[in-house]
Amino acid sequence: MSSLLEPEFLRRLARLRVLARKRFAGSAGGARRSMRRGSSAEFADHRPYYAGDDVRRIDWNAYARLEELVLRLYVAEEDLTLYLLVDTSRSLAFGTPTKLEVAKRIAAALGYLGLTGSERVAVVPFSSALGRGFAPARGSRRVGALLRYLDGLEANGETDLTRAVDQFLARSPRPGLVAVISDLLDPGGFERPLDRLASERHEPVIFQVLDREEIDPTPGGDLVLVDSERGTKVEVSLDARAIAAYRARAAAFLAGVQAYAKKRGFGYVLAGGEVPFEDALISYLRAA
Amino acid sequence: MGLLSPLALLWAGLLAPLVVLYILKRRRQPREIGSTLLWELALRDLRAERPWKKLIPQVALLLQALAILAGALALARPAGAGRVPAGARIAVVIDTSASMAARAAVGSDDTRFSRAIRAARDLARSLPPGGEMMIVEAAGNAAVIAAPTRDASALERALATLRVRGGGSDLEAAVSVAAERMRGSPSGSRIVLITDAAMSGELALDGRSVPVEVRKVGEPNASSDNTGIVAVDVRPRSEGNTPDRADVFVRIARFARTPADVYVTASVEGRGVVASRRVTVGPGAQESVVIPADLPPDPSGRAPIVRVELSLASAAPGEGTGDALTLDDVAVAPSPGVRRLPVFVVGDASEPVVRALRADRDVELFATTLTALAERDDDAPLDGLVVYAGPTPAEAPPGDSLVLAPTGESVFGTPLGPEVRRPQLVRWEESDPRLRFVSFADVHLAASRTVRGGLRPLISADAGAVAAVLVRPSGETTLLAFDPARSDWPTRPSFVVFFRNLVERARAHRATGGVPPGRTGEPLRVPAPDGTSVTVTTPAGETLRVVSRGGVALVPTDAEPGVFAVRVGERQLFALRNLLDEHESDVRPRARFTVAGVGATVRVADRVETQEAWPYVAGALLLLLVLEALWATRKGAT
Repeated sequence: MSSLLEPEFLRRLARLRVLARKRFAGSAGGARRSMRRGSSAEFADHRPYYAGDDVRRIDWNAYARLEELVLRLYVAEEDLTLYLLVDTSRSLAFGTPTKLEVAKRIAAALGYLGLTGSERVAVVPFSSALGRGFAPARGSRRVGALLRYLDGLEANGETDLTRAVDQFLARSPRPGLVAVISDLLDPGGFERPLDRLASERHEPVIFQVLDREEIDPTPGGDLVLVDSERGTKVEVSLDARAIAAYRARAAAFLAGVQAYAKKRGFGYVLAGGEVPFEDALISYLRAA
Repeated sequence: MGLLSPLALLWAGLLAPLVVLYILKRRRQPREIGSTLLWELALRDLRAERPWKKLIPQVALLLQALAILAGALALARPAGAGRVPAGARIAVVIDTSASMAARAAVGSDDTRFSRAIRAARDLARSLPPGGEMMIVEAAGNAAVIAAPTRDASALERALATLRVRGGGSDLEAAVSVAAERMRGSPSGSRIVLITDAAMSGELALDGRSVPVEVRKVGEPNASSDNTGIVAVDVRPRSEGNTPDRADVFVRIARFARTPADVYVTASVEGRGVVASRRVTVGPGAQESVVIPADLPPDPSGRAPIVRVELSLASAAPGEGTGDALTLDDVAVAPSPGVRRLPVFVVGDASEPVVRALRADRDVELFATTLTALAERDDDAPLDGLVVYAGPTPAEAPPGDSLVLAPTGESVFGTPLGPEVRRPQLVRWEESDPRLRFVSFADVHLAASRTVRGGLRPLISADAGAVAAVLVRPSGETTLLAFDPARSDWPTRPSFVVFFRNLVERARAHRATGGVPPGRTGEPLRVPAPDGTSVTVTTPAGETLRVVSRGGVALVPTDAEPGVFAVRVGERQLFALRNLLDEHESDVRPRARFTVAGVGATVRVADRVETQEAWPYVAGALLLLLVLEALWATRKGAT
């Protein structure tokens, strides 16, 4: 059994599954609200009848009231594809537990919910480029394979979200829910790749994974901080003044990500803060 | 330039550990973290927040600090200490000739003399520990005005007494005097001659065993162009019936490579300008100008003093020539009226005496008696020469007087001996101006009394002095203790010459009130009773007060041409000061110097007085440092 699927974790995932239904509405066939009008039972709108239209969709009640032929339009329903973009850059190897471990758990949770909800789930690891991913799969039988796959991910390389998203979109995936699980500490920025995902009709959800020490560092000592990815060295004395400046900058960074997500309508979950990631995930799913 | 303490350079070795200390980094513990992105941003925020960032030792900072230290050291001017070894002496010989009053450079208010004083002050300030300095004034005569001393205030006081003199300067003699006083000085001693070198020819400076260094002040270029009055005289006009008509003779010299148009203006105090002429003076040429003018005496009967002034044709009169030297732009001269000399003959003077006095056409004889003089209401002294023939008053009158064959027991307090028959004249003072061209070789006296006391003998016989001079602050008395009519002297040419000399001397004394004319910068020697306050008003209007001592008030004056009004009690005197020296008016540096060294004569390098450029260099250094520091410190912020 993978460490990602500890009993307690599985129990909580089961709870998450119930809550997830609210978000991933549909039957066992697996369906997701589509922007397209379709044949689902959910009424969407009326439109005038044109010759050649399916006469079965004519709303006769409306004809009786308006004496005009109009068609009933329903929300089209199609399969949801959940893409889990998991940051496996070297910076994820830090933290207690490591940020990669947290990212894997988030991916496992989302994947478990997707697969047990009959959604198509794919895992795309990335650092400076896309790694070998977990091919889209459906069905709860694939949960084990997913977890094993996630368990084998290792942190390596530099973060380049822009390049990773470009390569992801180059594969012309079907539009779906893209969960970007990353610390977003990318010198190239995160806004442009997420905007690109949205422009390609994907719905990004941001799962930002940070270590507590990265949000609220502990004072003390004259250090040379070495960037694990770029090798950049920063000489700093961790006195109160420097800590305060860092806290302010970190808070501003988090606030900036949150504000960006809100402005774009993206989901945003911070994992690694004061709230455990499971609780944060549950809160997100409840709010969805 | 040598180093006084070369071992002190070992201190520079401390720079190495100092640099190492600055270059060494603080030991920091490396720690790998996921990303330093936020830390970089946070530290940038810190730098932006604080006006002062943490001092990060680096080579550039160290070099800048060293450059600043070097600049500070340069500003402290260590050169002086390096030039003079400890304990050595410097003899500073300062040229005080009139040409030193010339401006130092075009557009500068500094004179060469002020720059020379400044250079001497700099030398005094740069004296090393144990070093001594003496100051020698090189005027017409060399004078040590400060003996070797290390007392800066004494040197400063001595420099303050220095003034530009009216005449030339004997630099060779001054250097010799300095060398004599520097005999036996420690090695490293030297003589520094500060001069403008405005003299012709080659000067051999003999410093004996002491090196001589010549520093020139003033620029040898257009700033040395000068036009000046080199001679002036006022003489009565030989034609015409107007006795006050006179001709003002002025000779003007131009010392430059270009001609100049100047106005020559003659004026009289109280009357203003009396005549003016425009004249063009060629380069290196002299022009004579004759200006006719009416010069009547003033209402008080005093003959006027003519002031001649040069001014540029393009400028208003009185504005001067604007050339290098202003001392020679003005000259003063007494008018012919001053030559008129009243001679009061008291008693029965013999016919030869009267005839000899009348031989001077400008003498006006007035016969009187002692009684008449005693009953005179006017307390003012007689303005002229008083000749006593026979009896004399108890006290000498102010001014010049001549006593002939006195009959009393004494003359003005000087006792007389009994009459001696046929005294043989054995000696007479040929150097005395009264006896100029006068000889008593073939003169025989029938009889004479002898002069006793401390008077200066003028003519001596075998029995004693038969003629003497009594000098008082208010005048001179010439005493002849015999009657010239009772001798064969009147038949000799020297008789008339003696009286002419006497009259001329009285005339000169009367013209100046007893203050002999002199050159600019010469002190006024005003005869006055001891303790009398003498007030002098300079041509510039400055008032000086000096108390007389030893019968003379010595009034130091600046080099300033014109009339110095002197007041001694109720007496008003006038002292005339002129430059009138074409050698000094030629202020172009042209002298060559050689120094007689030890066994060899070496030519002195013309060393122009240093117009120190270190403030500009230091300023440029600081500017460069500021720019470099700004660039080095701000480039990281961009």
